[in-house]
Amino acid sequence: MTDTPTAGRPTVNTVLGPVPADDLGVVAVHEALLSVLPGAQYAPDISMDRAEIYEALEAKVIAFRQAGGRTIVDSTGMFHGRDLTLYEALSRATGVHIVATTGMGPEEKLGGYFLTPQTNPPTPWPAEKFADLFAREVTEGMVVPRIERRAAAGMVTTVADRAGMTPTEESLFRGSARAAAQTGVAVSIRYGADALAELDVVLDERLRPDRVLVGDLDRTDAAGDPGQVAAAVAAKGAFVGIDHVGLNEDPGYLTDAQRAALVLDLVAAGHADKIILSGNAIGVAKGLDAYDLPYEHVLATFIPFLQGEGLSDEDARRILVDNPARLLAVR
Amino acid sequence: MTKVNTVLGPVPVAELGIVAIHEHIGYGMPGSELDTQWWKTPEQAYEETVPKLRKFHEYGGRTFVDVTGICNGRDPNYYQALSAKTGVNIVACTGFVGGDTALAHFARASVDYLAQVFIHEITVGIGNTGAKAGVIKVGVSRGGKMTELDQRIYRAAARAAVVTGVPILTHLAIDPKPAVAIFHEEGLDLDRVLFGHADDGLNAPITPHDYIYDQGGRIGFDTFGYDLELPDPPFWGRKRAERMAHFKALLDKGYLDKLMVGVDANCSPLGWPGVKGHTVNYLFEDMIPDMKAIGIDDDTIHHLLVDSPAEFLGMKN
Ligand SMILES: [Zn+2]
Repeated sequence: MTDTPTAGRPTVNTVLGPVPADDLGVVAVHEALLSVLPGAQYAPDISMDRAEIYEALEAKVIAFRQAGGRTIVDSTGMFHGRDLTLYEALSRATGVHIVATTGMGPEEKLGGYFLTPQTNPPTPWPAEKFADLFAREVTEGMVVPRIERRAAAGMVTTVADRAGMTPTEESLFRGSARAAAQTGVAVSIRYGADALAELDVVLDERLRPDRVLVGDLDRTDAAGDPGQVAAAVAAKGAFVGIDHVGLNEDPGYLTDAQRAALVLDLVAAGHADKIILSGNAIGVAKGLDAYDLPYEHVLATFIPFLQGEGLSDEDARRILVDNPARLLAVR
Repeated sequence: MTKVNTVLGPVPVAELGIVAIHEHIGYGMPGSELDTQWWKTPEQAYEETVPKLRKFHEYGGRTFVDVTGICNGRDPNYYQALSAKTGVNIVACTGFVGGDTALAHFARASVDYLAQVFIHEITVGIGNTGAKAGVIKVGVSRGGKMTELDQRIYRAAARAAVVTGVPILTHLAIDPKPAVAIFHEEGLDLDRVLFGHADDGLNAPITPHDYIYDQGGRIGFDTFGYDLELPDPPFWGRKRAERMAHFKALLDKGYLDKLMVGVDANCSPLGWPGVKGHTVNYLFEDMIPDMKAIGIDDDTIHHLLVDSPAEFLGMKN
């Protein structure tokens, strides 16, 4: 790792160390590199061939770079296939910054260690313990299980159940918020049933709203009209994640045409500095359906479309470069 | 000849010798690997483990059945090295300690899929290690009642046991009726099932020992040594004399052929502190002397530690 002069400039935690936030360039914020449904790594019918996984990821990351992308955030957290040594190699080889994340969720994807610990009674983990686990991944480095810690996590990410936030998920949200407040990284929440109420849970931990990214705001099952919910999230000061760009045939989500209208509405309402666009692409999926959307889809296809609909170049840059940099900068 | 899958390949049951039937090289709940407080260097893990296995071997122990489930830190490569260097046969399991230790990929799966996983691990091998599982582990989740997922795993295990001929060991013998019903429905002889932890302090009072025996199931007194007399006993501990008296009462009823004994110790725990001073060698250092002290004869002890395990572990097809 080369020593970049960073004095006085806010930095972002990447897998190869801190990088000045204004060097991030175009960022894909809500994506997955290797995404493994917990347990799938042990399944006899699923290959975990590292060379094959690397080759597939490298091709996609290079395509992203060739389209002008410079930074990818793997927002899958610490227990969904995160592979730090692979990402370090990938970042070195491609020149693309990779930000890896800590955090977990929803409850259904947690290990029993957190849900039914070897105590009597088997009380699930409280917020404070999750906060400590996640904060250490920022202050001491992310874990390669049972081997070592590597670079600092760049964000805390968590998810609630679509049927409604469970008590353990509330602990996860509160713990994630505390870890973010303690360490200065942002928190990304993917809401369960009610985006605004769940945003309030993390804000209740006295986390500044501009340290929160509320993802999934292009779902059609938001409690309320998606446009109004997104505007309300922005009005609270949090980042609005419209992060399934490119997904057009799923009734659970807006179409790109509807997403474009939503983006333009938010811009018109003065919220351009709150918009995060991303694709939730999956580089390599194990134990879950592949989703081969190119990482550059937002950058190469959706933004030009938005510009055709009247988005200014300045706002386009704000959305692709400035907003992610502000979100990811450790503060 | 009847054989058993060990991590280094099949061995004849005639060679199994004294068997520790329900043990762990190292156990941790899924996710505990993320918490650095439990991490150990490989040096430390070997240092904690090898002397215990060597001592086990010196005492005459020949076979160590590890029932650490798929997501609990089961580590066949490591077991292979340990077995090769200590001369102790190690039998690894497929399956899960309970539904609450099965991660999402398996928790979402169908009975068919789970059965295929178990059969693959028994007949082809675990991952790319070449080690084949010799037993199937199933269990009851925390909370005292079999969950829907527990039952799916039991049914898949029963199918895999019928196809492969390996036996099933359960974690907990409480709430056995749904289990018995599943094994009957799947055509598995209950003699192929060891209902474990029938003796622990928390669960013995709610375990229907006679019902299990009447159904033809085997009964595991396999937490010997988790004694309340220990300086820091676990919550499932039991008074040492009380456990032995309970065991003797079942022997006196004529249950010998259906009883098996073990100590459920961790050589080097993975995701919990473990219980200081409790090792697989409790078998030789405490349990056997205690048995002799209350008049259990050598033939009975031989039957418990050698003949019954051989009969149980031998693959039936
Ligand atoms: Zn056990």
